[in-house]
Amino acid sequence: MDSTRFNPGNAEQVLAVLQWAAGEGATLELVGGGAKRAWGRPVQAEYTLDLAGLSGINLYEPAELVMTLKPGTPMAEVQATLAAQRQRLAFDPPDLGPLLGVDAGGGTIGGAVLTNLAGPGRPRQGAARDHLLGFKGVSGRGEAFKSGGRVVKNVTGFDLSKLMAGSFGTLAALTELSLRVLPIPEKTRTVLLFGAPAADGARAMAAALGSPHDVDAAAFLPAGVAARSAVDYVSGAGESVTALRVEGPGPSVAARCAALRGLLASFGAVEELHTARSETLWRELRDVAPFTGGDGEFADRRQVWRLSTAPSAGPALGQELAEDFDGEWYADWGGGLVWLAIPPRDDAAHHPVRAALAEAGGGHATLMRADAPVRAAVPVFQPQAPALAALGQRVKAGFDPKGILNPGRMDT
Amino acid sequence: MTAERAPLGDDLIAELSGLLGDRLSLSAAVREQHGRDESYHHPQPPDAVAFVESTDEVVAVVKACAARRVPVIPFGTGTSLEGHVAAVRGGVCIDVTRMDKVLAVNAEDLDVVVQPGVTRKALNEHLRDTGLFFPVDPGANASLGGMVATRASGTNAVRYGTMADVVLSLEVVVADGRVIRTARRARKSAAGYDLTHLFVGSEGTLGVVTEITLKVFGIPEAILAAVVSFPDLDGAVNAVIETIQLGVPIARIELLDEVQMDACNRYSGLDYPVQPTLFLEFHGSEAGVKEQVATVEALCEGHGGGHFQWSTRPEDRTKLWQARHDAAYAAMGLQPGTKPMATDVCVPISRLAECILETKKDIVASGLIAPIVGHVGDGNFHLVLLVDPDDPDDIARAHALNDRMVMRALAMEGTCTGEHGVGLGKMDFLTAEHGEALGLMRAIKRALDPDDIMNPGKIVRV
Ligand SMILES: Cc1cc2nc3c(=O)[nH]c(=O)nc-3n(C[C@H](O)[C@H](O)[C@H](O)COP(=O)(O)OP(=O)(O)OC[C@H]3O[C@@H](n4cnc5c(N)ncnc54)[C@H](O)[C@@H]3O)c2cc1C
Repeated sequence: MDSTRFNPGNAEQVLAVLQWAAGEGATLELVGGGAKRAWGRPVQAEYTLDLAGLSGINLYEPAELVMTLKPGTPMAEVQATLAAQRQRLAFDPPDLGPLLGVDAGGGTIGGAVLTNLAGPGRPRQGAARDHLLGFKGVSGRGEAFKSGGRVVKNVTGFDLSKLMAGSFGTLAALTELSLRVLPIPEKTRTVLLFGAPAADGARAMAAALGSPHDVDAAAFLPAGVAARSAVDYVSGAGESVTALRVEGPGPSVAARCAALRGLLASFGAVEELHTARSETLWRELRDVAPFTGGDGEFADRRQVWRLSTAPSAGPALGQELAEDFDGEWYADWGGGLVWLAIPPRDDAAHHPVRAALAEAGGGHATLMRADAPVRAAVPVFQPQAPALAALGQRVKAGFDPKGILNPGRMDT
Repeated sequence: MTAERAPLGDDLIAELSGLLGDRLSLSAAVREQHGRDESYHHPQPPDAVAFVESTDEVVAVVKACAARRVPVIPFGTGTSLEGHVAAVRGGVCIDVTRMDKVLAVNAEDLDVVVQPGVTRKALNEHLRDTGLFFPVDPGANASLGGMVATRASGTNAVRYGTMADVVLSLEVVVADGRVIRTARRARKSAAGYDLTHLFVGSEGTLGVVTEITLKVFGIPEAILAAVVSFPDLDGAVNAVIETIQLGVPIARIELLDEVQMDACNRYSGLDYPVQPTLFLEFHGSEAGVKEQVATVEALCEGHGGGHFQWSTRPEDRTKLWQARHDAAYAAMGLQPGTKPMATDVCVPISRLAECILETKKDIVASGLIAPIVGHVGDGNFHLVLLVDPDDPDDIARAHALNDRMVMRALAMEGTCTGEHGVGLGKMDFLTAEHGEALGLMRAIKRALDPDDIMNPGKIVRV
């Protein structure tokens, strides 16, 4: 047994470990499934706190639309349990395993929340952060605490749930969380627009998302990316594809798709995908499948950036950077999220990527895939303005004054 | 808590007057008005009120106060309900109502940039010809800065969310006078902690919000509003629960009990049946709305809901929702001379019927007049307890009733406040609800405001 690894099986044991570590100032790397270890800065810690043992669903009453569970619960188990009741996690967490070089299906619910994942439905449904109703945890001070509850509205002081989501385990170890869940819509369809140049794609997505037809996801695939889709209508297009998703009860989905086709007719030819093909396409986009192809020595090893910007600016930015660096790109979230893959470089092109982003109106560039030495040398997360960074450090010090939790993980 | 109050030093007054001229007010009437909100809490006036017009002026006022450790209390429209703006240790109130410009409307990105003094109605007025609207609508015409600070919500939360869901980014002047911007217009902040949402709901205790980027929405193609009454409360609440559980994307679903309906009829000159009633609104495309309506009509019918009275014309809808928004004022009309103590529990939707029905029994036992209104789609409802602020017996009975209800909500894993916030009124409940987390909130407060000058004495005691 590894003497530098703790494997607690319950919240009391987590508390005991953290009380000890806080007393000693011993540093810990927190891992759940370990599926996202390659995201963020490599952590240098003396010990590992493996939270995979805290697994299982504590309370799930479908009628309540809330699930309370332990953070190490495998995502696959969460999704299967919900699906059996025709419900789902509305934030539709991506499976980033293949992108980050590990097997698919390895993620845990805690990992999804701590990295604040969000699927293509983000423009309407938000991210993990928006669905975390409450949690229990143990802070870096070695103190157990809880925040929020099982209700959708709660204004009792500072919103610790929002801080916890996306904190990459640097504030507290989660021991339990309550998430809002939603019914699975009866039907899903996708309206495809073919051949639009990127600028038109951006306009089409804005028109669709601003329309009354309840479009819940919008993506733009340049021709080269579209060609590798497993969905025949997309790969066979031979040109760019703008995809717009509509969900809900059957008759209204059909009527809204028809209205959308009318709205988009001036942009070019349109086509419609029904439920199964829709699901395949959005899963590909969600899990960054366009940049995870190939096996073994043929595996896609390009560096991957995730750029977050104003939706209207995204497609032009992606196109410009892909041309400059001989890469590929596609946009999700109506253009607000750009995935960019470029041939590996020691500096991951971080200066020019961030300069172009600033030029486009600002946002965040996160280096999602690169070898560890590159991630250690290049700012993985978007550097923050000094005043903002100072504030973040003070928040960190409030939770973890000795800096024992995941040291360095979120450094910029 | 001992409220230490030293008078403002002449040097501070001189510095602020030099900066603001007659926009620094020391008049008793102005101070009095800025130490009160719309509730039963006793007013506690600040020593001075600064009517600022720019972020730079906010910076200068905060720095001048910080240098002398004088409290700073941000102020929007003063419609909060839990003593949020009371100057418990005196100090300088920063009134932001003159920072009332809409700075940008980015129609294609569905966002707007506003100053904090813009009210929710003024923003919608500004957006009128753009095809866009801003959905969050607390009963009062509050300032957007105040709504950020209290993490307000309204009747539209089921479909469009609360302030927590629509704030994209903030500019904030923090306790040492530094200006921070939490994010740009990107939809997602992947850099660092979510400081945007740390300020949303911080009730002025961490900084002064000086600029806000908000999500806005396309005006739906079809809007239908309806009123439907039920023979009993049980039926009305269960119809709501089933609507939410089915995932119907209804825009508004509001409950008013028979006492409140009586008050609304009198106050707004209406003649609805004096029965538990739902006010509903459906948004979407023509087809989408038709389908939602069919589903909800069937559910209501199953619970004894009478026929729907539709309002399709915009002016009829406005009248309907104005009556709903005026519910608190209407309630006060039931017993002139009283002030409202508004309770605010929120429970998981599956426990809602049980929680409301038990509470109804408590109201009867208390002998108080207390209409029930609720954003029931969120599991959130209010009693408007009518109390005479100067009658200790009234206040005691109202507190006892609220205490029982809060404890019931907490036992159901709910909360003591779903939207009004903590202020002074709910601080004691936080201990029951959060326990250890209060220590962390205190640590955050100390870290961001070490001298405890930003709206001191609220949310957590330092
Ligand atoms: C009739 C009536 C109905 C209501 N209905 C609802 C409802 O349905 N939902 C709901 O959520 N609330 C409701 N409220 C409560 C109230 O309207 C909200 O709390 C609103 O958000 C307060 O905004 P304000 O501008 O009046 O803020 P104020 O009362 O002026 O201030 C509230 C708090 O915010 C702080 N603050 C104000 N401006 C700033 C700023 N720029 N920067 C930092 N801090 C600031 C203040 O210091 C204070 O702590 C209702 C109130 C009334 C009177």
